[in-house]
Amino acid sequence: MKSTLASLKTYPAIPIIAALAVAFSLFSPYFMTSGNIEAMLGANAVVLIAAIGMTFVFLIGGIDLSISTVISVSAVVAGIVMAQTNSVPLGLVTAVAVGMVFGAVNGILIGYFKLTPFITTMATQLIARGIAFVLSQGIAVKGTPFWVLDFGFMSWMGIPAVTMVGLVLVLVSVFALGKTTWGRQVMLVGSNPNSARYAGINVSFIEFSVYLVAGVLAGVAGFISIANLGNAIPGVGDTLLLIIIGAVVLGGTAMTGGEGSIERTVLGVMLLAILTNGLNLVGIPFYDQLIIQGILIFFGTWLAMKFSGQRAV
Amino acid sequence: MPDAIRRVFARQKWMAIAVATIVLAGILTAVSPVFLTLSNLQSILVQSSVTAIMAIGMTFIILTAGIDISVGAILFFTSALFAQLMIDTESYLIAFSAAMTCATGLGALNGVLVVKFRISPLITTLATYSIYRGAAIHLTGAQNIPVPREMGFLGNGKIFSIPVPILILIAVFVIGVYAFTRTRFGVYTRAIGNSARSATESNLPVNRVTIAVYAASGFVTGIAALILLARVGGLQSGIGIGIEFTVIAAVILGGTKLTGGSGTVTGSVIGAVFLVLIDNGLNLMNASPYIYDIVRGSVLLAAVAVDRISAVRQQKAVEAARAARIQGAAIPG
Repeated sequence: MKSTLASLKTYPAIPIIAALAVAFSLFSPYFMTSGNIEAMLGANAVVLIAAIGMTFVFLIGGIDLSISTVISVSAVVAGIVMAQTNSVPLGLVTAVAVGMVFGAVNGILIGYFKLTPFITTMATQLIARGIAFVLSQGIAVKGTPFWVLDFGFMSWMGIPAVTMVGLVLVLVSVFALGKTTWGRQVMLVGSNPNSARYAGINVSFIEFSVYLVAGVLAGVAGFISIANLGNAIPGVGDTLLLIIIGAVVLGGTAMTGGEGSIERTVLGVMLLAILTNGLNLVGIPFYDQLIIQGILIFFGTWLAMKFSGQRAV
Repeated sequence: MPDAIRRVFARQKWMAIAVATIVLAGILTAVSPVFLTLSNLQSILVQSSVTAIMAIGMTFIILTAGIDISVGAILFFTSALFAQLMIDTESYLIAFSAAMTCATGLGALNGVLVVKFRISPLITTLATYSIYRGAAIHLTGAQNIPVPREMGFLGNGKIFSIPVPILILIAVFVIGVYAFTRTRFGVYTRAIGNSARSATESNLPVNRVTIAVYAASGFVTGIAALILLARVGGLQSGIGIGIEFTVIAAVILGGTKLTGGSGTVTGSVIGAVFLVLIDNGLNLMNASPYIYDIVRGSVLLAAVAVDRISAVRQQKAVEAARAARIQGAAIPG
């Protein structure tokens, strides 16, 4: 009983996921089929990868509003590069590089120049969005190499390849956060930047590196979005911001820093994935889904806060 | 003496954006002969009226160290409700009063949630953004709805040859400045932003003021919604998408601090005009509309960078003065 309660504290999303899964399998016979689960996994790879980055940012008490449109801009630039050169590795490198540039800009401005994360990333969000639309002329970039399209459909034991990429990144991130000095420094900077500074941690560098990592992950997410959708879409990330932030806070990671984990975010992503998928199966129109999503994000966050005994999220 | 200094700085808060706006206007005058015409200046003010009015409300929220991401959704919901009620009841009275009540109510709901649940305003209003937007589309069944032609008066009409949106903006601005400088509401708002804890400990009605601030922002957003609806001529599905960031950008450009406690209503209005001037200039240069976002983002970054540099410089000056004083005290004369 005690361990159940403890795991509830750590993973407040689990009971909601269980309830939703049971409810949706009662309402729709398709919900628990392997085909549906595979589709659900594939459709949420982009959100999963981007949400890992957002988790790191939240853990140091920051926020990155630009993640959503950095996904778009890295997809567009990578799409153009691949259309010109037909080289997939070059496309992936481009996507990562674009994400890295935006992450570095955010990181330098926030970490070293101490600008407010909210405004800084709001500005880079606009810039990234603008560049994505200028370069693509506002339409999908054509000429994606066939291999990328195939990659979007590949799967192994019912798990899509794009999700595999996400899971590998999850494992790497869990390791980086739990088993490395860097990870421990991230947690300390988030829970108390002053004591971190007195402990001799280079707080500016940690902040810089976290935004850099978030940018890189957004770049990878952008590349994956091409595999998922078949083309680089300039507006692909625009609507994802709410889902990404929602997944992280629903998982139980606090915005105030120092409290949370990558594992929690995986559960948060699962929760929203199941919700969207289930509501679609049941036939709820998208606008009613927006309402339900909003209510769930609000009360889910509140519950997560109650369970883990945080004062504020 | 410190009071006098503070007053000078309070003025400087919007002086920066005012100077930037005048410089930009000067450049545009030099570049284009049509810029400095009465009709162009009027159209710039009309174009900025919607964001400027919303920015006045947002200023108070940000002064309490809060934020409201849902204002775009409130704008959309109010427009949807008004358009739908005009179709259903054909009564301006019902549609107007329902729309304004609803706008205020949705804002107040944000405030109540922020106060009662103690989740950060960002997450709270991100959630209500989704809820309000969904509810609005639910209400209209995702239809575009035209509004009656005489509604256009609110958007394009003139009284004594001054466009109506400008008159409304002036009215909201005057009330906003009055509330900010001359009422307890304004003082409490800043007190909460400076330190919610000391405000609570001084027995200020923190919860009530916070709810009122969000409600007031909802109310002015309702006004903005009706102006926008009148100017556009009907409800369109894209109304209000992304406008929250433009509004917040206007407030930040105006010199209001996201950390709360410091800012001005005047600065926010000038900030909104400044953003429209940028659009105007890009338009004169025949730039792609997609470039607007890049320029806006860069301007915002430049503004916060300049602000940061001057803050660092100020801090250094204060520290140097203190060091000098300590040194002076250490050597007794």
